[in-house]
Amino acid sequence: MTDVAEHSAARPRAEFLHRFSLRDAGTLIGLIVILAVFGALVPGFFAERNLINILQQSSINACLALGMTLVIISGGIDLSVGPTAALSAVISASMLVAGVPFPLAIAAGFAIGLVCGLLNGMLVAYVGLQPFIVTLGTLSTYRALALIYTGGNPVLGLPAGFRAIFNGSLFGLPLAVIIVAVVALIAWIILKKTPFGEYLLAVGGNEEAAHIAGVPIARTKIAAYMISGLLAALAAQILIGRLGAAEPILGNLWELDAIAAAAIGGASLMGGKGSVVGTILGAVILGTMRNGLTLMNVQSFYQLLATGLIILAAMLIDRVTRGRG
Amino acid sequence: MSVPRLQFEGISKVFPAVRALSDVSFSVGAGEIHGLLGENGAGKSTLLRILSGIYRPTAGSVLIDGKPVALNNPVAARAAGVAMIHQELQQVPQLSVAQNMFLGHPLTRGGIFVARREQERRAAEALAALDPTIDPAVPLGSLKVAQRQIVEIARALLDRARIVAMDEPTSSLTPSEFERLAEVISALARDGVAVVYVSHKLDEVFGICQRATIMRDGVVVGSVDLAQVSEKSVVSMMVGRELAQEQHRSHASSEVRLSVHGLASATKVREVSFDLHRGEVLGIAGLVGSGRTELLRLLAGADRASSGRVEIDGKATKLSSPRDAIAAGIGLVPEERKREGIVPLRSISSNMALASMGVFAPRGVIDHARLKRIAAEKMKRVNLRPFLLDRPIRLFSGGNQQKAIIGRWLAAGTRILLFDEPTRGIDVGAKAEIYHLIEELAAEGHSVVVVSSELPEVIRLADRVLVMRDGTVAAELDRADLSEQAIAAHAIPQSETQGRQGHRAGA
Repeated sequence: MTDVAEHSAARPRAEFLHRFSLRDAGTLIGLIVILAVFGALVPGFFAERNLINILQQSSINACLALGMTLVIISGGIDLSVGPTAALSAVISASMLVAGVPFPLAIAAGFAIGLVCGLLNGMLVAYVGLQPFIVTLGTLSTYRALALIYTGGNPVLGLPAGFRAIFNGSLFGLPLAVIIVAVVALIAWIILKKTPFGEYLLAVGGNEEAAHIAGVPIARTKIAAYMISGLLAALAAQILIGRLGAAEPILGNLWELDAIAAAAIGGASLMGGKGSVVGTILGAVILGTMRNGLTLMNVQSFYQLLATGLIILAAMLIDRVTRGRG
Repeated sequence: MSVPRLQFEGISKVFPAVRALSDVSFSVGAGEIHGLLGENGAGKSTLLRILSGIYRPTAGSVLIDGKPVALNNPVAARAAGVAMIHQELQQVPQLSVAQNMFLGHPLTRGGIFVARREQERRAAEALAALDPTIDPAVPLGSLKVAQRQIVEIARALLDRARIVAMDEPTSSLTPSEFERLAEVISALARDGVAVVYVSHKLDEVFGICQRATIMRDGVVVGSVDLAQVSEKSVVSMMVGRELAQEQHRSHASSEVRLSVHGLASATKVREVSFDLHRGEVLGIAGLVGSGRTELLRLLAGADRASSGRVEIDGKATKLSSPRDAIAAGIGLVPEERKREGIVPLRSISSNMALASMGVFAPRGVIDHARLKRIAAEKMKRVNLRPFLLDRPIRLFSGGNQQKAIIGRWLAAGTRILLFDEPTRGIDVGAKAEIYHLIEELAAEGHSVVVVSSELPEVIRLADRVLVMRDGTVAAELDRADLSEQAIAAHAIPQSETQGRQGHRAGA
């Protein structure tokens, strides 16, 4: 940039750099490196179709991971996202099959997600149980409810009209990707621009100090779990729209991918730290790995290995760079 | 005395971008208690970390009994006879006293099983000389801080330490607990141990140390014989300038702002009543555990009262949460800044804005331009240094963190400020600034309550002092009647004086 431009551009650029943190830049570099490696190894990897594929394959995990990020920032964890999604999916699906109008069935699915999150949040915030244990318990509970409700059978034959809602595309992008992008934007605004975002960071960063400063601790935590539940329900709708059926075992181990995306993106499981941009990049990194390795015909065992190593590498880099500060 | 027990020779330590220590040399003889003084950032902690093997010096050497020693890691330092007693005790509260004393190198039977009985016997032996009332089998967490300090010292004895370094050992002790600790330290010295004693409290250093080394900005300003210098001259060596002695001026008006009637909590506070006026600085003195902190927490809404009522400007006010208290214009600057005050990873601005988010986000979205402007205004007001509003608060010194918390309440429009130990862990220069700030706030019409264990601090600041004992107000002293003796006379419960006399008689 020239000297003349420098003068006027310096401020917004500094602003931008300030917003786009060093940690997010690191995650972005990681993604670029991974893309470059696959681009070199896999012919046609950079084809528009494949890149869109990656985004689509990442969208469900990104959706869950955004909710997970907020919960992790608040100092908690939500292991129950997969079963929450399953419960929401089978209820919406059975309503759809029974002929209930789409908006009502979808709203019911979202309501299930909110209620699941509310229960998690109340057990954590009011009863004071540890988030890991609470959501471990509800992980089994919600899964059991989904299985009991369906008798273990998938709900088949969702109306084509419903499927079209989530399978459409806009400006050449799958609707699912656009929905998750909008959710990410909202999450970013929440975290960066609202008191609730500041409260999340404060509650996770130092709960006692936040309490004395008048932060509504319980409300903040409960809201985080409810958002996580809602986003799990949204992910469920996207998935059953794509599949045309809802299985009660859907979403098995989703929580682990969501935590991984958040952690790769810089969220600290100690609470008080996390980034929406980072989490999205983390989800895309995981999606890219899967896509690229599949295209290379790598056995799934090795895909699992690669995912594990990426998570560990991200944490090691985190550790090393932080140790210097 | 021929060879000093401990000698620092030309120690320098350079970190990337900072020179923390520069050519530091001084020595401590066997049996000497040597004070190490300096403001935060003077290099005391860095020097202690070198002594305890956590850092390696960039240049220079440490000599023990005249021989250079390589203190490459904490284990090596321990093997060389150095014991470190940290400011924040490094202990595991769930484990027993004896387990803590043998932490990291337990006594075993056959290398497999922990010899618990034997550990407890040896621990009891070491403790006997210091405080025989401590039972080595109880969980460490059940002991008071003062006793935990003594456990640390006993651990040093077990290790046959020749050098004991103590970093702010008394920052949370009561005066009588300090006396007990001072006896223990003197006993260590009589056994030939060299003690390096770091403290912010000059009176303590003058009380128990023979000599002291004063550091500033990483260099030794001088080593002095404490019998020959005044506290004032030591302070000016520490800060590099004369600190003006301020005269007390009262700004209290007759207008009652806060009126407390029979306030009580389930545990520590019993039937406390008092009035606080506009522009008044009310001191609350008393021993640790007398209910002072708990009283402030009730007023700040952090804990709930079980009975009693509070009126603000004549109106009955409910204080059942910090939000209620903040809405009523009350803000607490807590004692344990790290635990209750700051959100360490967040910026100065965010920490400041935390209590008044509603003001900065009138329509649900934070107005960052406004936040930045008010943060700049308030932080200028409290003289934050360095003036970096976006920097995480954990990177600031204790004094500047404290200023940010005060700024938090100024931004929230607080009219009643509650300070719990306002200068704990804060160096001399920043201390004077905080005092000044408190006085300015009072002059502007704020009402201030200052809880402090440091009697000179209470006397310096307060227009009026309540002395608390056993959860209630034992005495009210006007400015004219204020003296350390008067406060102490009311603060100490009868049973304690008798107990201490009994202890002395038994010893």
